[in-house]
Amino acid sequence: MFSIRTAKLLLPRLSPLKMSHSATATARLLLTQQHLTVNRCNSTTNSHISPESIGITTQGTQFTADYEVYAVNKSTGNILSWFHDIPLDFNEEQGEANIVVEIPRWSNAKFEISTKLPGNPIVQDVKKGKVRFVRNLFPHHGYISNYGAFPQTWEDPTTKEEELQLFGDNDPLDICEIGTAIIERGSVKRVKILGSLALIDDGELDWKVIVVDINDPLAKEVFDIHDLYTKCPGLLETTRQWFRDYKLADGKPQNKFAFNGKYKDRKETLEIIKNCNRSWRKLVTGEITGDKIPSIENSTLVGTPGYNGGFETQKLIIRERKPDAPIPVEISKSHFIPTD
Amino acid sequence: MTYTTRQVAAANTLDYKVYIEKDGKPVSPFHDIPLYANEEKTILNFIVEVPRWTNAKLEISKEQKLNPIIQDTKKGKLRFVRNCFPHHGYIHNYGAFPQTWEDPNQIHPETKAKGDNDPLDVCEIGERVATVGEVKQVKVLGVMALLDEGETDWKVIVIDVHDPLAPKLNDIEDVETHLPGLLRATNEWFRIYKIPDGKPENQFAFSGECKNKKYAEEIINECAEAWEKLIKGESADSKGIDLTNTTLTETATYSDVAANEIPTAAPAPPAPIDKSVDKWFFISGAH
Repeated sequence: MFSIRTAKLLLPRLSPLKMSHSATATARLLLTQQHLTVNRCNSTTNSHISPESIGITTQGTQFTADYEVYAVNKSTGNILSWFHDIPLDFNEEQGEANIVVEIPRWSNAKFEISTKLPGNPIVQDVKKGKVRFVRNLFPHHGYISNYGAFPQTWEDPTTKEEELQLFGDNDPLDICEIGTAIIERGSVKRVKILGSLALIDDGELDWKVIVVDINDPLAKEVFDIHDLYTKCPGLLETTRQWFRDYKLADGKPQNKFAFNGKYKDRKETLEIIKNCNRSWRKLVTGEITGDKIPSIENSTLVGTPGYNGGFETQKLIIRERKPDAPIPVEISKSHFIPTD
Repeated sequence: MTYTTRQVAAANTLDYKVYIEKDGKPVSPFHDIPLYANEEKTILNFIVEVPRWTNAKLEISKEQKLNPIIQDTKKGKLRFVRNCFPHHGYIHNYGAFPQTWEDPNQIHPETKAKGDNDPLDVCEIGERVATVGEVKQVKVLGVMALLDEGETDWKVIVIDVHDPLAPKLNDIEDVETHLPGLLRATNEWFRIYKIPDGKPENQFAFSGECKNKKYAEEIINECAEAWEKLIKGESADSKGIDLTNTTLTETATYSDVAANEIPTAAPAPPAPIDKSVDKWFFISGAH
C-alpha cells in the first residue's frame, strides 16, 4: 500500500545548515537514521525522531495571541513542524502511533497546532480578537481528557468522506488521551489506539480518537473501545456528552455525531488514521493545493515541495518568553445546562 | 473589617500553615471571627479551607494555637482527596463557619448520630474559585446531612453575597432552578469521595434530600450554641480543642499575647504534588 519509494521520500534528513550545534550528536543521529532506513523501509513516517528526542521552545506571553510553542529536536536544537516533521510512526499491527498533546486535562485554554503559520507552532485559538477558553460545563473542569492530535494526519476539506458525504475540518486528526497522568502541552507520546467518535462540527467531519499512553498503567488493561465500559465506567458516555454540549455556554448549538454517536472500535479507527495519514501525504506532496490549505513547510521531508532544508530559528523565534497573562476570572465559572 | 492571611512554609508540605489575620494581627478562625457578618444575621462569615478543583485536604487545626489552616495527614502522610470521575478535586469551595461546633457529646434527634467534633462544614457554590484562608461573606441556602462513618457531618450550602447569582438564590429550590444538577452532583460527590481509599460509600440522612434554608439556620444555631458552651468551658468534653482566642475577653482562654507567639510570615511557592493525585477513579454505578 505504501511503496518503498514513498517511504524513502518521506524519510527526514537533518538539515546540513544546522549541523554545527553538536557534531557528535548529529553524526549519531545520521547513523541511527541510516540504520532505521533499512529496518523500516515499509514505515510511512520519519520514525527516527523518537518522542523522547522532541523538546519545545516557547515565545511570547501565555494566554495571549503572541504565545507560540515550537517543537525542537533536542539533539540539534532545530525547529520541527508539529504537523509535518513529528513522525506519526503508525504501527497498524500493534495499533500504536505518536500524538502531540495540545491541551492538558482540566485546563481551559484552547491551544492547537497552527496549520497556517510556518513551523506549525502550538498557539491559543483566537476568535473575534480574543484568545479562546473552553467553558466549564458543570461538573466538568475544562477538558476532561488530555487533548491533542496525531502528527502527519489531515482531515481533508477538499474531498468528501465516502460513507458520510462530509468534508474534513482541515485540521490534523484529534485525539483524547484518557490515561492517569496529566500530560503537558507540547509532549509527544506513543499511544495505544482504542476507538473513535465521529463529531460533526459546523457541518465538517471532526473525528475524536480515543487513545491511551502506552506507558500508562491503564494501557495494560484496555485493548479496544469496549474495555472502557468496564474499566472506566461513565467515561465514554461523558466524553460524548461533553463534545455534544461544550459550545452551548458560548451560545452555540449542540454538536452532532455521525453514526448516531456510536463509537468506532479499534480496527475501524486504525483505518480512519490510515486515511488521514494518506490525506496528509497528498497535502505534503503537493497533490492537493488551494487557498485555505495548511502550510506545508517542513524540515525533514526531503523531496516534498515544502521541504526547506531547516527552519531558520532566528526568523521564527523573535520574541522573548514573558510571564503569563492572567486567565480571565470568568473562566473559573461553571455553566449549568439543563440537558439529560 | 479586613481579613488577610499569614502563610508559613510551602503548600503541600507538613509545615504549611495559613493563619488568619484581622487588621494584620493573627486571630483564630474557629473562635475569634464572628459567625454573623451583619446584625440581621442574614450574612455569615465563612472560612475557605479548600478551593474548588483542588485536592489537598486542608482544614482548620483544632489543636494548634489560634487554629491555623493545615493539611490533614494520615499515617504521617499528607492527605489529598481522590478525583472521582467526572469530578476534579473538591466540587465546591469548601470550608467552615467560625464559632460553630458539631458537638460529639450530643446525639442529633433526627439523624440519630453524634456530631463530628469539627466546625460546621460549608460548600460555597459561587462562580469564583476561592483562595485558602479567604473569609467570605455568604448567605445560607440549605443543608445536607451526611453520615460520615457514623457521625453527623452537616454540609451547609451557601453562596458568596457578591456572586452575580446571589440576588436570585434565596432558598434551596432556587439552586435547582438556576444551577440544575448541582445538588445531585454534590450529593454524589460526598457519597463516593472516600471509596477510592477503600472506604464504604457514605450515607445521607433524609434520603439524601437537601433541607431548606430554615432548617439550615436551625442547624447553624445549634452548632453556634454548642460552640458557645465549648468556649465557656461548659461542654462535657472539649476533646483537646485549643480554645485560645484574642477577642473574647470574658473567656478563660482569652490571651492578649497569643498573637505575638505566632510565627512570622514565611511564604514559599507550593511544593510539587505527587503525580498519583492526578489519577481519576471510576466508581461503578455511581451515576
